Formats: sequence, C-alpha cells, structure tokens
Amino acid sequence: MNRLFSILFYVLLSLLFIVLQTTFLSPNRLGVFYPDLSLILIVFLALFSETKAGAIIAFGNAYMTDVLSGYLFGLHTFSRLAVFTTLKGFSENVYPQSKLTQGISIFFSTIFSWFFVWAVLEMKTDIEFDISPVSVISQGIVNILAGLPIFWMIKKSNARIQA
Amino acid sequence: MQFIKRHPILISVIFLFFAIQLFPLSFEEKKLGNPFSRFVLTLAYYPQKFLFSLSGSIVGVWQNYIDLVGVREENEKLKTEVNKLRQEKFRLWEAELQNERLKKLLGFKESSPYPAVTANVIAGSPSGLRSQVVILDRGTVDGISQGMPVTTYEGIVGRVLMVGRKSSEVILITDEISAVDAYIHRTRARGIVKGKGDGCVMEYIEKKSDVSIGDKVISSGKDGFFPKGVVIGTVVGIEITGGFVRAQVSPDVDLNSLEEVIVILKSPENMVFNE
Repeated sequence: MNRLFSILFYVLLSLLFIVLQTTFLSPNRLGVFYPDLSLILIVFLALFSETKAGAIIAFGNAYMTDVLSGYLFGLHTFSRLAVFTTLKGFSENVYPQSKLTQGISIFFSTIFSWFFVWAVLEMKTDIEFDISPVSVISQGIVNILAGLPIFWMIKKSNARIQA
Repeated sequence: MQFIKRHPILISVIFLFFAIQLFPLSFEEKKLGNPFSRFVLTLAYYPQKFLFSLSGSIVGVWQNYIDLVGVREENEKLKTEVNKLRQEKFRLWEAELQNERLKKLLGFKESSPYPAVTANVIAGSPSGLRSQVVILDRGTVDGISQGMPVTTYEGIVGRVLMVGRKSSEVILITDEISAVDAYIHRTRARGIVKGKGDGCVMEYIEKKSDVSIGDKVISSGKDGFFPKGVVIGTVVGIEITGGFVRAQVSPDVDLNSLEEVIVILKSPENMVFNE
C-alpha cells in the first residue's frame, strides 16, 4: 500500500512540476536561467525510486514536456529517459544521500540532457542550437540551487506518506 | 531491469538513436495532435487555468505582504486600510488597462473579415529549447482548429500548433520553425518572415526591392495561414546576402508579455489566394 501511495505521490508531483514549469517558472518568462523542475524530478527518481515505476513516471513527465513545448516529439522523452537510465546505472556505485552526489548528479544531468538535444538537432535538423555552453553551465548551477531543497522536500513528504 | 543498471551508456545510445529517428516527425503536421497528446494538453489545462486565476490573487497577497513588512503594530489597522485602498487602486488600474486592451481587441475583432474568438494566455512552454510557445484557454469547443492564426490588435502573434478540448498551443512567429509570407507595406516587396528566437528575419526579398529601416511588414495572405494585411513588425536592419536582401524584423507585438489574444477562425483549408 505504501508503495502505491509513494508512486501516486510521484505522479502527482510530476503533474504539479509540469504545471509550475508552464506557468510561474516558464522559460518564456524567466529566460535561460530557469530551474528545470522536470529534470530535477527525474534525477530524484533515478537516485531514490525503484527502476520500473521511476522510468514510467520519468517517461510520462518528459512526454508531457514534449507535448507542451510545441510537440518536440522524442527530444525530451528520450533525453530524459537517457538521463534516468544513466543515473540509475551509476546510482548503484555512489552514495545518493550525500548532498555532493546529488548536486553533481543534477549538474551533469543538465549538461548530459542538453548535449543529447544538441546531438539530435545537429544530426537530423537544420535548426540552430542557440544555447551557449555558458548558459548550459549556468542552468546546471541554477538546477543545483533549486534541486537540493526540492530533493529535501520530496524526501520529507515521501517519508511522511510512508509513515 | 538489471540490464538497464549494467549498461546505462548503451541504453542512452539506443535512446539517442530513437530520438534521431523520431524527432523529424515533430515537423510533420499530420502527426500532430494525436489523441494522447490532446489528452495531455487537456489534462494540463485545468491546473494551468487554476494557477492563472490564482496568480492575480497571489500578486495581491504578495503586494500586501511586502507592504506590511516592518509595519508597527499600532499602525496596523491604518496601514491595512491604506493597503486595501492601494489594492483597490491597483485593481482599478489593472481593470482600466485590461479594458483598454479589450476595447482594442474588440475593434480588431469587429474589423476582421473572419469570425474570431478572444483568448487568455494561461501558460508558456516548459522547455528552454522551444520557449516560443504559449498555451491559450480556448480549444476545440470554441471552434479552434490547428493552423489558425493568432493575433492581437498590434499584429500577428503566431498560429495554433495543437488543439485540446479546452486549450490550445500556439507557436509564436519568433519560433525558428515559424514562417509567414509577407510584404513590405510601403513598396509591396515580398519575402518570407522567419522566426529566429529573439526576433524575426524577412528573407528572399529581391535585391532590387526598395526596403528601408522603419518600414512596416505585413502578411500577404498567400501562405494560407494568415489573413492579408495584418501587421507583423518593423524593419530594424538590412543586409544583402547573395542575390537577396535580408531584413531584420522586430515584431510589433510584445511576445514576452502576452495576455489576451484573438484567434481568427480561419482554417488553412479555407484559404483564398489574393483575398
């Protein structure tokens, strides 16, 4: 039962993050320096949730991001799933409770996610990738700053649900 | 599941392969708006609309909080009264501004040869990659369908990319995949206005054409999406590339602060050349 509640909690959280990302925290308003809540959630799921449920929620979240950002089919869905699986693979060999691990995971996931997007655009379209490396690094830092307190809050809320 | 944990890089490469194969489908409009995507759009609509309605109240509460920080206890009542009046004034000011905008929108709507509906911008794109997308609180139930032009009284905003039951997604003219067939208003020189993220550029203008900085750019109506004669923007720079003139165009509409827009109920199928 606890597992079910926990999964439901993550699903609702995923929906909440998407809605916040499209309204108050939309890059349309904030420019490049916005906290990427979807990515933060996916990093959290990769580090702390079980593989199957986490992957499905990550897929749903990334797919919604694709649909709500002008139907960029596959770009976020696959890049975020790649982030999830890569982190899941490495999470066995690191200590995820450490803030340093969490921060590094968020930062490199941001870089990895943008690199993935850049690779797809470069190989398959003539759309110009106009996000500079400095912006990507800055967004990684913004994601760390927003992500660590969000991780703490999610863990607290989830622990309360489990209790 | 053990396979995923053992071979994360291999899985990522497989995802990259799939993304590369599937991504071009994003630009094939026939594939747009499958039932599942429309469901996602509708699913997001209710919380987005709720937050949109709530945001006005939150701004008021925040304003209230900021105003009350540091207020001494004995002055609280008086300050609250002043604050109420301030909020009232702010609300009236907001209402006046909204009234002005709506009046202009109504004027534009009435002068349009096509039926039109007004809509509120309730959300934006969640992705930094394509931030030139906004979400409106009108959908198929209001008669909106894919490809319809979206404007304000100041000019063209974009066109409808995907429609849900009660909300729709609009791609702005500044997006890189956006293109509008256009004229220079003064000289009728023709070209294509394309988005480039932070503005637009009018390409394929013949070299002999007369184009100057400050010229207004209007839609030609020949692309089948936008009605003829709607303002797109103003020429702010000119360069000659090859056999063509390339003009930098600054949209007349402030696309970063859109609130109310008009969706012109003109389907691309109903297009008429030389309207």
